[in-house]
Amino acid sequence: MENVIETCDLCRYFGDQDIRVKALEHVSIEITRGEFTAVIGPSGSGKTTLLHLVGGLDNPTAGQVLLSGTNIADMSGAALSDFRRDHIGFVFQAYNLIPVLSASENIEYIMLLQGVAAAERQRRVKEMLALVGLEGLGERRPRHLSGGQQQRVAVARAMASNPDLILADEPTANLDSATGIALLDIMRDLNQNHGMTFVFSTHDQKIMDRAQRLIYLEDGQVVRDESK
Amino acid sequence: MLFLKLAWRNLFRNTRRTLLTVMLISCSLAALIITDGTVVGLVEMMENTITRTLTGEGQIHHKNFMDDFDSDLMINNPDSVIDAIKANSDVMAYAPRIMIGGMIASSYNMTGGLIYGVHPERELNVSRIKDALIAGEYLSGTDLQILMGKGMAELLDVTLQDRIVVTVAQIGTGETRQELFRLSGILEFGSREMDERFAFINLATAQRLVATEDGVHQIVVRFHDPALAKNREHSLYKSLTHGDIEAMSWLDFNPSISSVIQISNFVTVILGVVLFFIASLGVINSLFMSIYERIHEFGIAKAVGTTPGNIIQLVMLEALIIAVVSCILGGILGYLSSSWFSVHGLPIGEFEVSGIAIDGSIKTKVLAQQFILFPAYIVLLTLAAALYPALFASRIVPAVALQRSL
Repeated sequence: MENVIETCDLCRYFGDQDIRVKALEHVSIEITRGEFTAVIGPSGSGKTTLLHLVGGLDNPTAGQVLLSGTNIADMSGAALSDFRRDHIGFVFQAYNLIPVLSASENIEYIMLLQGVAAAERQRRVKEMLALVGLEGLGERRPRHLSGGQQQRVAVARAMASNPDLILADEPTANLDSATGIALLDIMRDLNQNHGMTFVFSTHDQKIMDRAQRLIYLEDGQVVRDESK
Repeated sequence: MLFLKLAWRNLFRNTRRTLLTVMLISCSLAALIITDGTVVGLVEMMENTITRTLTGEGQIHHKNFMDDFDSDLMINNPDSVIDAIKANSDVMAYAPRIMIGGMIASSYNMTGGLIYGVHPERELNVSRIKDALIAGEYLSGTDLQILMGKGMAELLDVTLQDRIVVTVAQIGTGETRQELFRLSGILEFGSREMDERFAFINLATAQRLVATEDGVHQIVVRFHDPALAKNREHSLYKSLTHGDIEAMSWLDFNPSISSVIQISNFVTVILGVVLFFIASLGVINSLFMSIYERIHEFGIAKAVGTTPGNIIQLVMLEALIIAVVSCILGGILGYLSSSWFSVHGLPIGEFEVSGIAIDGSIKTKVLAQQFILFPAYIVLLTLAAALYPALFASRIVPAVALQRSL
């Protein structure tokens, strides 16, 4: 199976020599296409840092991140932006939609950056909204949507660019249990029926229950990696 | 289109701040339009006062005549000069003159003065001698007529129709010649010197008095477009300046006023720079505040693939919208204000230009360039001011931005 992500001795330290915080220490993992993986661990264990590094949002102190075989450390800022746009989808804990754009426009935004034609964008937006069960709510701004609905828009936005990988940073943390389960079901469906690769960072037992693989992080190090 | 929509909506996240920024720029533009209109109006009023009172917009005379008004230095063959003037399509009117110093005496007193021999009809189109008339009648061409300033009339203690004797030295021989006149009109130019020292008689009488057949000392011209008069390279000046004859713009024989006008033009530039600088600071401040409030959002935008170029484009679009809206509002405000002052005038009290008192108000000038050039400067400077915040926003590191706001 093809590797979507490969990290080699990945390290990320914060602070200077005197007060150095080792957020990640020599993390080497491989994630293959179509996985539904959860990175779990206590607060401060380095889950979000790992996702940021894998997503090219941050630069490692040492080590390499290979995304679909490409070392992201070798990319310029603009090239990395393009790479994220075309290959990675993000779902954040706090939804993080653009508040002045409607749900449809938030989904359309990435396709606009990709240069997708207007008609195709409109078609995809409708398709994505239907996929996450938000038909008829496309014109609403984020503040007029519930937390669960906003997170579904975020998932649709992440899906819209047809990425190789979706990184979800505690996507259910701000949702009630039922909404969280509904969202996870959508993502699981996307994974199983559309072959989308998901990597979560989470404390949520519901995600852990649904994940095919669990990577345990503690003090910035992988302490366990188990597949179900 | 989505970027434009995004930029437009971003401006309404903090409507009050956007409105304040727009007001700052709009008021700066309006102030600049009014200032420029006022300066142009003031300059035009000064130019009009200088050129239309007596001196004209251009003068042709003997090369050395202006040095000490030596009456022997004449244009002896004015017909060829006048033919050249007539042939120039830019010239609207001309008037030949005799200018000679002499003694002017009444039954009670006498004084020295400058006597102008003028062509009554031609003079109407180049000077305001007739407009300055406060008593009596304007010249009609008869020999006995003389006009003098109010100050001179008071000095000589004369009233209308009183006898005046003018004594001058004849050209060439220097022999004195006297002529009797009847005071036909009293003038008030508002200049003490002109009112006390200037007298006006008919051109033919003056030529006979100084014993010249058709010679003149000066030919005053007025152009269809007053701006042409200031062009020292104008064909009229070039073609008539040769040999003993010299053609000059009014700027040449009023160098101090020329400097004043140049300084006046700088006023607009200086004020424009100050206003635009303040407005630019307002734009930078506003955009930076807006960016700081949205650091998290820029982090998200970059995370999902927005390039630094896209971020710059977005911030610049926001600045462009602010600039365009400000220019529309500022243009309207400036137009309405400047138009009102162009009709009702700006009261400025009394001051003197070239020895001539001006009492009244400046009528501002509303010019197309004020609504094309100034807004264009505003847009360019606003975009320039926005460049720094835009670059700052484009360099936001997504991971830092995401952590910082969470």
